Amino acid sequence: MIAACCALLLQAGAAVAQVRSVEVRVPRAFGYFLGDLVRAQADIAVDPGFSLQRASLPAPGPLTYWLDLRGITVEESPGRVRLHLTYQTFYAALDARQVAIPGFSVSLESAAAGGTTSAKAEIPGWSLGVSPLREVQPERHDDPAEYLRPDGRVSRLDPLPDMRAALVALGAALLALAALGYDRGWFARPGRPFAKAARGLRRLGREGEGGYREALRLIHRGLDETDGRRVLADDLPAFLDRHPTFRREGPALARFFEASRRAFFGREVEAARASLPWPEVEAGLRRLAAAELEA
Amino acid sequence: MNTLHPGDAKLTDWRASAARFEAEVAKAVVGQARVIRLVTTAIFARGHVMLEGDVGVGKTTLLRAVARALGGAYERVEGTVDMMPTDLIYHTYLAEDGRPRVEPGPVLRRAEDLAVFFFNEINRARPQVHALLLRIMAERSVTAFAREYRFPNLQVFADRNRVEREETFELPAAARDRFLMEIGMEAPRDPEARRALVFDPRFHDTDRLIAEVAEGVLDQARLGAIAASIQMAIQAAPEIETYVVGLWDALVRPAEAGIRIPGIDMTTLVQGGASPRGLAFLVRAARVRAWLEGRDWLVPEDVRAVFPEVMAHRIFLEPVHELRRSEIVPDLCRAVFETVPAP
Repeated sequence: MIAACCALLLQAGAAVAQVRSVEVRVPRAFGYFLGDLVRAQADIAVDPGFSLQRASLPAPGPLTYWLDLRGITVEESPGRVRLHLTYQTFYAALDARQVAIPGFSVSLESAAAGGTTSAKAEIPGWSLGVSPLREVQPERHDDPAEYLRPDGRVSRLDPLPDMRAALVALGAALLALAALGYDRGWFARPGRPFAKAARGLRRLGREGEGGYREALRLIHRGLDETDGRRVLADDLPAFLDRHPTFRREGPALARFFEASRRAFFGREVEAARASLPWPEVEAGLRRLAAAELEA
Repeated sequence: MNTLHPGDAKLTDWRASAARFEAEVAKAVVGQARVIRLVTTAIFARGHVMLEGDVGVGKTTLLRAVARALGGAYERVEGTVDMMPTDLIYHTYLAEDGRPRVEPGPVLRRAEDLAVFFFNEINRARPQVHALLLRIMAERSVTAFAREYRFPNLQVFADRNRVEREETFELPAAARDRFLMEIGMEAPRDPEARRALVFDPRFHDTDRLIAEVAEGVLDQARLGAIAASIQMAIQAAPEIETYVVGLWDALVRPAEAGIRIPGIDMTTLVQGGASPRGLAFLVRAARVRAWLEGRDWLVPEDVRAVFPEVMAHRIFLEPVHELRRSEIVPDLCRAVFETVPAP
């Protein structure tokens, strides 16, 4: 860091002992243009035990018509408080000149056994050398647009590698999605008839007697497709022998066939629905689809 | 299911009688539960039965046991190549006084009471005899001595063995269509039953075996009425109607139903048959099966349980395939049930 401007303030009285010195450092004190950020660092050497009262710091915001305080951060170590100040100047200078940055004061305190002792540290104002961006009287141009500086030229970026990488990533993502879908049985494919039936059931909604019978019919088709033949109620034991993965669904399937018989052939849809309500149809089909994944 | 029909209690009683009937027949014929169930079904459907099978598997024993347990008047004839229709109807002989006499023959002897007519080795009889039988089966009546005899309770059981082809006459399609069922009978597969049949002396003396069967378990005279009330009481849901019609379509036009049997051109395989009468018989038998199972509505299993026996002999194949009929038709029936959705 270029140490430049510094001010040493020695104060009289009891406070002198508490705030030993205040020093403001800036990287440089000149050569600032309109809109530049000005960083400054204020070091306050204090007696041990003193710390900064955060509330006494100036609030970031406009200080004068040409100067904003953009931010202030504090770094405390024993015996020293360091403030990092960021200003922004909007001074539109016509020639190189010095402007004054106003000073401010902060409070410090020390909580000792006998009570709180507070002290004040004055951060002194300092001056900043600002310079104009352009001459006062620019060269005459017929077209006012020419007073504007042309845009800087930048080399064109090559988007090809990025695009290629994006395509590869997209392909990989699609592959992963397809693999996930295959595993979860999102698509209709041979070998997952119950997953297909479960999709059909979701599309079906839950309205009316017809819907219930349609749901049972979906499970029938799932069983038929699993077995490659039509499975009737009496075929259940043989079916379970041929497809042991569904064995633990045996009792549920038996109840399903019972309900299906009543609903379709006994013309007692309500009794069937009472013995095998809709949520059980859904749950049963979900379990069948899960069992099918294990096959 | 819970609606009470008049006569429900009567049907339940009769179901118990049917179970007893089956148990009695099973005393004489071991390891043939399915055949016995089918015969019982045929009895309550009031349909004629043709038994088919190898020599010595117990066809005759079964039919004798059935006839005994069924009760009612019973007549039996053996088919022979020289048998003529008149031999069934008339009994001609020279009386003691040396004059020829004509008396009623086997069919007429018991006249209206005749309940079971048992035609052994039917394929040995000539077509003329088959024609007479056709009339007896279809109309349950025959004209003799210039008047018409009626047999309201008659049930014809016939058997034939499928081994011999010499000096036999294949039944005409019309006569076969009159049989409700054609039941194929094979020796039992169960090793226990096979051992018993061979070593247990009980099975060696058929007459004593038949004598063990209780006589007249079913009330022959009331069978007709009970059969009718079974047909009334067993309900068929619209789904069953759709299912049976679907089976029919698939059987008659297997190619359109998507049925494939390796090595056979499905478009020309089935030439005909599967008549509406056959389908009516099928539903009739299925209703009886539902009743025997203690239900008062039909399920697809009822249809499937009686289908091969009721339908197989009504399917007429292309002549090229007729010789392999015994392999093709069961495959076709199985494929039909594997294809037509229920419900």
